[in-house]
Amino acid sequence: MAQMIVAWKYQARSTLWQRFDPRARLLFMLAMLLSILYFWDVRVLLIFLALAALQYALARLTFRETRRAWLIMGPLIFVLTVVTMLTGKGGEGVYTGNHPLVALPAFVLPLIGRIAIVFSAEQVTFAAAQLARLLAIALLAIVVPYTIDPSLYGVIFRGLGLPDKFAYAMDLAFRLVPTLGRDFSITYDAQRARGYELERLQGGLVQQIRRIAPLLVPVVVQAIVGGEETIDAMDLRSFGVRPRTWLTRLIYRRADYVLLALSALILIASTVVTLSGYGRFWVPPALLR
Amino acid sequence: MKKALTWLIVLVILVALMLIASALTGPNGVKLQGVAWLLWTAIAAVLIYALYFATAANPAWEVGTRQVVYMAIGAALYGIFAFLFNGTVFVVPSVSLVSIRPAVAIPVFFGFVFGPVVGFFTGAVGNILGDFLTGWGVFPVWDIGNGLIGLVAGLVMLFPDRRKALNTFTWVVAGLTLIALALIVIRPVVRDPFGDAEKNFFGFVWVMLIGGALALGARWVLARFGEDVAAISIWGALGILIGIGFAAIADIWVNGYPFFVAMVGEFAPAAGPNLINASILSPILLGAYTAIQSRTGR
Repeated sequence: MAQMIVAWKYQARSTLWQRFDPRARLLFMLAMLLSILYFWDVRVLLIFLALAALQYALARLTFRETRRAWLIMGPLIFVLTVVTMLTGKGGEGVYTGNHPLVALPAFVLPLIGRIAIVFSAEQVTFAAAQLARLLAIALLAIVVPYTIDPSLYGVIFRGLGLPDKFAYAMDLAFRLVPTLGRDFSITYDAQRARGYELERLQGGLVQQIRRIAPLLVPVVVQAIVGGEETIDAMDLRSFGVRPRTWLTRLIYRRADYVLLALSALILIASTVVTLSGYGRFWVPPALLR
Repeated sequence: MKKALTWLIVLVILVALMLIASALTGPNGVKLQGVAWLLWTAIAAVLIYALYFATAANPAWEVGTRQVVYMAIGAALYGIFAFLFNGTVFVVPSVSLVSIRPAVAIPVFFGFVFGPVVGFFTGAVGNILGDFLTGWGVFPVWDIGNGLIGLVAGLVMLFPDRRKALNTFTWVVAGLTLIALALIVIRPVVRDPFGDAEKNFFGFVWVMLIGGALALGARWVLARFGEDVAAISIWGALGILIGIGFAAIADIWVNGYPFFVAMVGEFAPAAGPNLINASILSPILLGAYTAIQSRTGR
């Protein structure tokens, strides 16, 4: 099994979204995330959800590609939203009212007794707002690894103001992933040839965790020892003595400035709207009757 | 002087952000009242400044070529192992709901051996890489939380030796436990921070006593296996509790979870397995590294 089992999800595509500068895309995502945090009004959150869905559509990601992420995040979002609704204590300080809306038939649980669940208009509305918020955040977050070239992360973060050393460390980390992934494959094959089976660990909890060590330790130690050569090579090339230049240059175009302006507008407008007292938790009047 | 001025500007910006956040808080939320909060902010700032200036010259904060390379290696390793063992590539058996997650040993180990900066980078960027490889996206709160795991584990390097680090931990835990106990005993009935009613917190005396005893007991028991083993286990555990706790509690405001859901749905399933995995694998990694270090002399 000396094959590459660690691979990036990124694929170069000629989509409208990927034509934007990656810095502008990241700043848009951050502006949206920060703005979403201001609001609990489900009407406003649906607008943000629509914007996030539009960004997702422009990236032209298929369900097949992102299936695993949605299969894990989808149920998690749903379960946590339902549990929050059932506990009736969602959103600390978001709402305090309690207008009964739906009463489920009471039932009896052994050892616990009679349970009567009553959903209030506030609980149901908060659940809807929470679902919209979590889905919008997930849509914004999922797009990033599929649409930004991993080889550009160093120059992206340098362009966003991160110091040279940290930006280069990030760049080097992304470049080391396939190499260390290959080393892991080789170590795993070598250990399997010696009778090591990862999927059939025997013994109690402590024993099973300890049996991961033959896989973890050689890979980590080999990486550290190999890193010494990299350190020497960088020192010989005077790393860190002067400001670093980068092979790739990112240049903003007009469309990127438009996206940046839109991001700033969303964030500023959200701040002003919230400071003016709007966007707070809202319950549809029809549910309060 | 320039650094002091920079940090003063940072403090002013922080206070301004707190004022804005208070203004943005809804009518049912907790807003900043009066000016007492300014005094407490100033006290916290003085403590942080004192800690910073006391340790600023410490080589633990140095970021040279060596630290840059180890940051990159640590982050790449954490990302790879997090991806491989999250159930997508290898499905390893879990025992009594404890999942086998060896990746968490990496930020703890890298922070402990190479310093808090390397530890933070390993945890934060490694978590980003792991999520990218899986295709889950980017979740800043959890990235910072994982970074804190490595940062806290790396704070051991601020001390001249492991024994002092362990003793400091012992005094701090003992001191905090006694203060918390005293506060609860003196005034057990206070307003519930997550509700309106007054609540009797006297029951938490036992939680504090057991928690404090466990922490101190673990320190003394592990010290019998060696100061290095004790230090990496104790400080690694502290890092996990602080890092995962930060992320889970932040989700109360980011995602609107109640405290119960954040603790039971996020903190417990993440911190629990991490604590067990790190306490077993980090000392093994440290032992292997120490052996290699003595052979290569670097």
